[in-house]
Amino acid sequence: MSNKAFLLGDRAVYIAFIVIVLGLPLLVDDVFWLNRVARYLVFGMLGIAMALSWGYAGILNLGQGLFFGVGAYMVAMSLKLQSWTSMQQGSDTPVPDFMLWNAQPGAPTDLCCIVPGSWLWIPFQAQWFGIFMAIALPVVLALIIGATIFRLRVSGVYVAIITLALVLLTRLIFIDAQPITNGFNGLTDLGWLTVGGIEFDPLMVGTYYIVAVSVCIVLLLTRWLVSTRAGLILQSTRDDANRARYLGYDVASYQIFFFTVSAAIAGFAGLLFVIVSEFATPTYFDIAFSISMVVWAAVGGRSSLIGAAIGAILINTIEATVSESEMFQQAWRLIIGVLFVLIVLYMPRGLAGLARDLLARLVALGRGKQADSAKASRNPAE
Amino acid sequence: MKAALTIDALEVNFGGFKAVDGMTSVIDDGELRVILGPNGAGKTTLMDLVSGKTASTGGKVHLFGRDITNWPEHEIARAGIGRKFQIPSIFRELSVLQNLEVAVSQEPRVFRNLRLGIPTADRKRIDEVIDLTGLEPVLETVAGDLSHGQMQWLELGMLITQQSRVILLDEPTAGMTQGETSKTADIIMRLKGSHTIIVVEHDMAFVRKIAEKVTVMHMGKLLAEGPIKSIEADPAVREAYLGTGGLH
Repeated sequence: MSNKAFLLGDRAVYIAFIVIVLGLPLLVDDVFWLNRVARYLVFGMLGIAMALSWGYAGILNLGQGLFFGVGAYMVAMSLKLQSWTSMQQGSDTPVPDFMLWNAQPGAPTDLCCIVPGSWLWIPFQAQWFGIFMAIALPVVLALIIGATIFRLRVSGVYVAIITLALVLLTRLIFIDAQPITNGFNGLTDLGWLTVGGIEFDPLMVGTYYIVAVSVCIVLLLTRWLVSTRAGLILQSTRDDANRARYLGYDVASYQIFFFTVSAAIAGFAGLLFVIVSEFATPTYFDIAFSISMVVWAAVGGRSSLIGAAIGAILINTIEATVSESEMFQQAWRLIIGVLFVLIVLYMPRGLAGLARDLLARLVALGRGKQADSAKASRNPAE
Repeated sequence: MKAALTIDALEVNFGGFKAVDGMTSVIDDGELRVILGPNGAGKTTLMDLVSGKTASTGGKVHLFGRDITNWPEHEIARAGIGRKFQIPSIFRELSVLQNLEVAVSQEPRVFRNLRLGIPTADRKRIDEVIDLTGLEPVLETVAGDLSHGQMQWLELGMLITQQSRVILLDEPTAGMTQGETSKTADIIMRLKGSHTIIVVEHDMAFVRKIAEKVTVMHMGKLLAEGPIKSIEADPAVREAYLGTGGLH
């Protein structure tokens, strides 16, 4: 069966991806470049989350930035409180610099009450709390959103519209709560992640490895998840929710579970992105960013986890390269838009589909040759 | 004989219009029952009510003595009712084998299904159904690429792997060629006895081939019930079909 060839090909791509991602620092010692790759790997993780919800569950989430952004802000709050430069006030109870600028004259310089709501920051003084919340809060939000949407049997384009509206709502809330989120400017001048006394400078090879190992683990875990029986049942709900229901499956619970897993991955990606980029801004909640994730998954192949990851990394690499020339920088959005339309129309399975078709053709070609040589050996006279 | 499905004065009111109006019928365990009736008699609505797709506004449905009236669809399915739709309803992007693998699992919960592979007992049941439906040559084919007849057999096969004790079939031969229809009849005949089967069908040649006891519905009510021969001779049935050319 050619199925075996696909399985082998698939496995080869996974192994190649992991070897390259983990081996890259051995070949490159430019830390700035590695830092850039780390960011693209984070986007690759977002591609995986998108393929899981869009490709496998049939849930087109146009608000994935919500979970990414919330994850990013949670860890950024903790890192802000670790930042030597933004906490330097000579006070016993220092507060982030922007809170001072936003405070009423005479307000006590203490996290408890310098600005309304600043007490929310108190538990984030423990770095682990921020890291925990970066995944826990997206999970809780996804459970609430998912339970509401899927129990009501909302599907298709309506899910897209609702999630789109929710990410915009979140953007508004984060900008509006300027005294505790620094509004449009976001959280900048962050400290470094510190684990066991080691400070993870974003320009360190170790920081690259945190991201690289995380991406590989997430990739393999989601891969396992979709190959389980639950993953198969999830795909069946995508094809025909009613049939799955009449086979005895509570479709909503499968959708909620995988929607939440996808959100958790996005939150984790937000966490990692803050560690390598040292800022969190409301631009994470922009529509353009969430839609970009859809484009990455579409280009790479939404029904392939690794395809979507590679799509994300590829597009971002190209974008970074062309944006160095001014003309292309302007045209880039147009190019990516046209590319998206063309791929959806003519290549719905993306690069992964293309790779599979090529493999199928190679297998067929190999068989043809075998058949030819078999023929030749049977009729040596000819 | 033990009753498999008891439909007791079942009724649904769509804003004044009663599509099913006090329908009563008892289907025995292992029986093959055909439901006939002119267009709009309420046959498909009756199936919707029994399988949970539509909520009834009156009456009861009992499955092996258990009241399943207006349960959610997936719970009715777990209780033992399998339904085949008029338009083939299968998982088009999954392979035939994967379709059967989805149907075979007796474990509905998400977390319990976070495991790889199919248990041996389930694998055996899948093999039996593959034998019964003759889908062996297309196991790796994506279900969306099957012929119309194969899709119908796959859906039927899924209900059998699901281990439904009562199977509802809504026009199983619609759009089939003669050869396909006869194969479908064979599959249904082989299920008789081990499963309780309720068939809604228009194709009288097919009905005569498989039917024992027939229920005729008209205007949402029970019109006649009995062996096919006496039903065909029943003047009330002829009256109901008048203008549509009678039973043919």
